[in-house]
Amino acid sequence: MDSSFLPAGADNGSAGGANNGGGAAQQAPPIREQDRLMPIANVIRIMRRVLPAHAKISDDAKETIQECVSEYISFITGEANERCQREQRKTITAEDVLWAMSRLGFDDYVEPLSVYLHRYREFEGEARGVGLAPAPPRGDHHHHHHSVPPSMLNKSRGPGSGAVMLPHHHHHDMHASMYGGAVPPPPHHGFLMPHPQGGHYLPYPYEPTSYGGEHALASGYYGGAAYAPGNNGGSGDGSGGSASHAPPGGSGGGFDHPHTFAYK
Amino acid sequence: MEPSSQPQPMMGVGSQPYPAAAPYVPVPGSLAVPPGSQPAAAFPNPTQLSAQHQMVYQQAQQFHQQLQQQQEQQLREFWTTQMDEIKQANDFKIHTLPLARIKKIMKADEDVRMISAEAPVVFAKACEVFILELTLRSWMHTEENKRRTLQKNDIAAAITRTDIYDFLVDIIPRDEMKEEGLGHNPIVGLPPAMGAPADHGSHPYYYVPAQQVQGAGMMYGGQQGHPVTYMWQTPQGQAAEPPEEEQQQSA
Repeated sequence: MDSSFLPAGADNGSAGGANNGGGAAQQAPPIREQDRLMPIANVIRIMRRVLPAHAKISDDAKETIQECVSEYISFITGEANERCQREQRKTITAEDVLWAMSRLGFDDYVEPLSVYLHRYREFEGEARGVGLAPAPPRGDHHHHHHSVPPSMLNKSRGPGSGAVMLPHHHHHDMHASMYGGAVPPPPHHGFLMPHPQGGHYLPYPYEPTSYGGEHALASGYYGGAAYAPGNNGGSGDGSGGSASHAPPGGSGGGFDHPHTFAYK
Repeated sequence: MEPSSQPQPMMGVGSQPYPAAAPYVPVPGSLAVPPGSQPAAAFPNPTQLSAQHQMVYQQAQQFHQQLQQQQEQQLREFWTTQMDEIKQANDFKIHTLPLARIKKIMKADEDVRMISAEAPVVFAKACEVFILELTLRSWMHTEENKRRTLQKNDIAAAITRTDIYDFLVDIIPRDEMKEEGLGHNPIVGLPPAMGAPADHGSHPYYYVPAQQVQGAGMMYGGQQGHPVTYMWQTPQGQAAEPPEEEQQQSA
C-alpha cells in the first residue's frame, strides 16, 4: 500500500513547491480578493442549469452563492486536513475530501463523486496508456507520472484505491431506496469510525465565529424542503444537532439527541 | 427539555398530524369569533376545535404535504440526474470551475500543506453539485412566493431549512432569515368560501418550520440549561407576533 502513495507524494511535492514559489512572488496578502471567490460567470452558468428559462437571478443572489461556494470549500478542506494531521500525513487526497463530506453531512455527494473519481482515474490511465501527454488543465495543474503500462497501472492503483475507497461506499438506510440497485456496503476498515459522533474528535481549528467551534453530524433535514425518501422512518436512530447555531466557541462537542422535531 | 415539549403537544387531528403546526390552528378562530371572547395568548384545548377549524387545518395540511412531496420529488430527480451525468461524463479535461482557484481557496488555510492533484478535481465536481442543489432549494422558495427572480432571501430560506447548510448561517444576515419566515404568501387554490380565514390561517402554519429549525439549533448548541431556556423563548415570542397583528387588523 505504501508504494501506491509514493508517486502521488512525488507529484504533490513538486506541485506544492511550484505553488509555494508562486505564493511567495505574490503580494503581501496570501490570497487576493478576486481569488477568494469562484468566477461569477461560471457560477451563474451552473445555476442556470437547474433553473427554468424564465428565471432571473438578482445580483446579490449571485454574490451570495459565490460566498457560499468558497465557504463550502473551506469547510470541507478544514475537515479533510484535520484527518490528515491526525494520521500524520502531509497531503490532502481526494479520498480525504470525500471522507470529510460524509462526515459533515453531505452523504448524498459521496456516491456520485466516488463514481466521478473512478472515471477520472480511468481517463487518466487511458491517457498515459496510449502514450499521449495529457494537456495540463488550468495551467498549474501538472502531472509528472512516468508512462506505465495499463496492466501495471491497474495493479499498482488497485489495492490502494480499493482499500481507501471502499469505506466511502456505505449508505444510510434512508438512501437505499434512492439507489435500488446499490450493493450492500462492505465491512468498514479499522481506521474509520463506523458512526463518528461529534464528541469523538478534536476541536475545529478555525475561528469559532466562523463554524461554531464544533462539528455536528447532521443527517436530517428540517422544514418544507426536507429531503425524505419513502423509508426515512428507518433512520430513526437520531441525528446530531445544529452546532452552527451555538454561540462562538461553543462548549464541548456536538451530542446526539433524539430527533424530536421530525415531521412525518 | 420542558420548553421544547411545549410546541409539540400530542394531538390526533387528521390522518397525519403535524405536532409542530398544531398550536397555531386556533389562529383562524380569532377571525371567526370576536377577539374579546377568548384570551389572545391562550391555545384552546384540541377537543374544542370546531369542525370548521378542523377542515381549514386539514386543507392546509394537505396543501403542505403536496408541496413537500413535490419538492422531495424534485430533489430525488436532481440526484438521479447528477448520477446519470457523472456516469456519462467523458471529458475530464474541461472543468466547470477553475482548479487553480479551488486550490488557492484550499490553501487559504495556513494549516493545509500539500494537496493531491485529484482533490481539486473532486472539489470542482462537488462545488458544481453544491451550487446546483443550493440553487434548486432556493428556487423552491422563490416559487412558493410566486416570484420569478431568485433573491438573497431565497438562499437564506434554503440555508435555514437545510441542516447540512448550517455552516453557511454566518453568510446571510439575520434580517434575511427573518424575512424568510415572514415572507410567505397566502395559500392559493382553496375554496372561495374559505378564502379569508384560510389565507390568514396558512401564514403561521408555514412560519413554524423555520422557527423549529432555529429552536432546535439553539437547544443543541447551548448544552446549558439556562441559556437554552432563554434562547428558546425568542422563537416563541416571534411566533406570537402574527396572531397579534391579525387581531389588531380585525379590531
